[in-house]
Amino acid sequence: MGKKGFLKIFATVTASALLATCMLTGCGNSGGETSSGASTASNQTNSGESVKVGLLHSLTGSMAISEKAVSDAEKLAISEINESGGVLGKKIEYQEEDGASDPSTFATKAEKLIDQDGVTTVFGCWTSSSRKAVKPVFEDYNALLFYPVQYEGMESSSNIVYTGAAPNQQIVPAIDYLIEKGYKKFFLLGSDYVFPRTANEIIDAQVKNAGLEVVGTEYADMDQTDFSTIISKIEAAKPDVIVNTLNGTGNVSFFKQMAEKNYTSKEYMTMSFSIAEEEVKTIGADILKGHMMSWNYYQTTETDTNKKFVAAYKDMFGKDRVTSDPAEAAYDAVYLWKAAVEKANSFEVGDILKAIKSGEISFDAPEGKVTIDGDNQHLYKKVIIGEVKEDGLIYQVHATDEPVKPDPYLETYEWAVKAGVKPLE
Amino acid sequence: MPNTPLLKKKGGFISRFKYGYHIVFAVLVIILAVCPFVMSTTAMIQFLGKCMCYAMVAIGLDLVWGYTGMLSLGHGLYFCLGGYAMAMYLKLKSNGGNITDFMQIAGINELPTFWKPFLSEPLTFILILAVPAVVAGVIGFFVFRSRIKGVYFSIITQALTWAAYSIFIANSGFTGGNNGITDFDAIVGKTRGPANKGNLITLFIITLVVLVVIYAVASFLVNRKFGKLLIAIRDGENRTFFSGYCVNRYKNVIYIISAIMAAIGGALFVNFNGSITPTQMTISFSVTMVIWVAVGGRGTILGAVLGTFLINLCEYNLSSGALVDVWQYILGAIFCLAILFFKGGIIGLFKEQIPALIRRITKSDKNKKEAGTDAA
Repeated sequence: MGKKGFLKIFATVTASALLATCMLTGCGNSGGETSSGASTASNQTNSGESVKVGLLHSLTGSMAISEKAVSDAEKLAISEINESGGVLGKKIEYQEEDGASDPSTFATKAEKLIDQDGVTTVFGCWTSSSRKAVKPVFEDYNALLFYPVQYEGMESSSNIVYTGAAPNQQIVPAIDYLIEKGYKKFFLLGSDYVFPRTANEIIDAQVKNAGLEVVGTEYADMDQTDFSTIISKIEAAKPDVIVNTLNGTGNVSFFKQMAEKNYTSKEYMTMSFSIAEEEVKTIGADILKGHMMSWNYYQTTETDTNKKFVAAYKDMFGKDRVTSDPAEAAYDAVYLWKAAVEKANSFEVGDILKAIKSGEISFDAPEGKVTIDGDNQHLYKKVIIGEVKEDGLIYQVHATDEPVKPDPYLETYEWAVKAGVKPLE
Repeated sequence: MPNTPLLKKKGGFISRFKYGYHIVFAVLVIILAVCPFVMSTTAMIQFLGKCMCYAMVAIGLDLVWGYTGMLSLGHGLYFCLGGYAMAMYLKLKSNGGNITDFMQIAGINELPTFWKPFLSEPLTFILILAVPAVVAGVIGFFVFRSRIKGVYFSIITQALTWAAYSIFIANSGFTGGNNGITDFDAIVGKTRGPANKGNLITLFIITLVVLVVIYAVASFLVNRKFGKLLIAIRDGENRTFFSGYCVNRYKNVIYIISAIMAAIGGALFVNFNGSITPTQMTISFSVTMVIWVAVGGRGTILGAVLGTFLINLCEYNLSSGALVDVWQYILGAIFCLAILFFKGGIIGLFKEQIPALIRRITKSDKNKKEAGTDAA
């Protein structure tokens, strides 16, 4: 009885204290927000010795693993810029928010960053669903989002700068390469969400335009682990190459089950759009050896900036970490924002956007020189087809000579226009 | 055993007062009503608006779990049904009744038939209530008729939600798949930014009124004979059954009412959020709802509301800045403590445990015994 009573008192006191702390944190924050409300958001960013930006990624939930690499790259860029004197003489401070892998939370947090914390520029998001959820927030508040991941295109918001590849900077050149290499029968395999569906619509139109054949299209559930049915469909269709847009855990299961059947890149060549260095590490280099990828950057890309970037990244976050295309695009985003701010000579979104619209904002990135296109706010990027080698890194086998002009709606491709790829809305 | 206003044993300072719960709720409503006028930033108002929508779901969930003893792990489904219905209407309103971009990507050239009712506003409002009612009614009819209860009921609700989630993802041409339905204005117009604060306040007050109505309906129900029967079903289903009550029908009715409340919450939530995605239909979100009710104190309507606000405020404030890496541990600690030591949640804490503590400290051994029996 005495022991139980003590336990009860102890628990009551602990819990009351814990709840009170949380409530106070809440009150404290809302109090701060009331006082900051007096000055407008832009004043707040401009005042003092520093400028505040927002980082909005999933730090918990299913997307946390992928997004951590991206937010780390952003922090690296911020600390490098701060070491070399900041932007317009101001140090960059960042406010980090957790999107918790939930698009609604992303929307709530985007609004919190912009309205409550007085941030005008945010680096964030990974999934298309989170980007689409925050897009109206950035548009309504006229704030700026830098989105660092390759995606399915069909979007162009004047409040978003897309530093990852548009479809014509990843998918289209990869299929061109396959066609050129003499692959004739294509099998399209993807996870069931918007990126693979849009990608496959594009690939289908492109392959048919070349007079070749798509012998099968299959979609797997996002968290599907059993690929035996799909593998037997692939066996029946006998494709020359599998165009793979699986995402996340699906890739691990698919390639492991292919390996169990002793299928290597010799039997079934694959071209993947969502496997970067990080994923190669998870799946295993022995399994992925010889398979192809299409990105704009690999850890092995040979530029001077990249050597420095890879060294700095490993130095800051650990020797076993690898850099990847999304991480590099996120790193570029911070530098591109710096370049735009410096050209505008202002931290106001309107001025920054005007500078971006000039089409002269560029950065000598680890992947080579990238420039923001003034019209659609995507980047001019070089496309590199790579192949996985035994050491788990991806090496270039082909690259475009010049950076490719971004075309998110594929308006400059006759076959895409004919197939009606661009939405009417 | 959760405490209810009807079965309360001896009083703390709230329960001594007959209308204690209602007074606390009234204070909360007044605070909320003042909030949009004193807060200068709209982000917090938007967020509190979302919390109110969550509170509606929590009240509904409390009716089936706290009062009737059926732990539903699938209320996200009804939340989303309401949410999608509203989102479809708002999307069509914002694009002039044309087909959406995700339909085009899927190669659909004409507005699907089941989208057409959402061109009309009155029909949308009816469907927001009718669709979840029918779905819950049908599910309830079969589940309760087969006398499925306890953990099996939880499993079935969870499985059905999961199935619905998969259907929504797979039919991306009709539902927007993973991205859901995005890019539309609220029913009162644009709500974001300083220029649209008027609209936001209107929406906020509408939501507050709906919350009060739902609270009133729930309180009314549980304080009638109907409510006593629900508690009777929870505490002794077979006895109630053998007393001649048609238990299945009562369960089904409360399940439908609860689903409708969740759907109303979802429909209003969409207005604040500006989008709806299947994430709200995942099991983890449905379990989160259960946590709101558990922490607030199941078996009291007020507890559900308080728990919702508390947990969401904690999440909102803790998941950023310095605490960004540890906030889930803090919340986890709160949940564990609530489950281990405070079965009555916050309400139980204030109604029983703190008064007991005070008695224990101030009074003699005799009172100690009383508090000890309370804990058992």
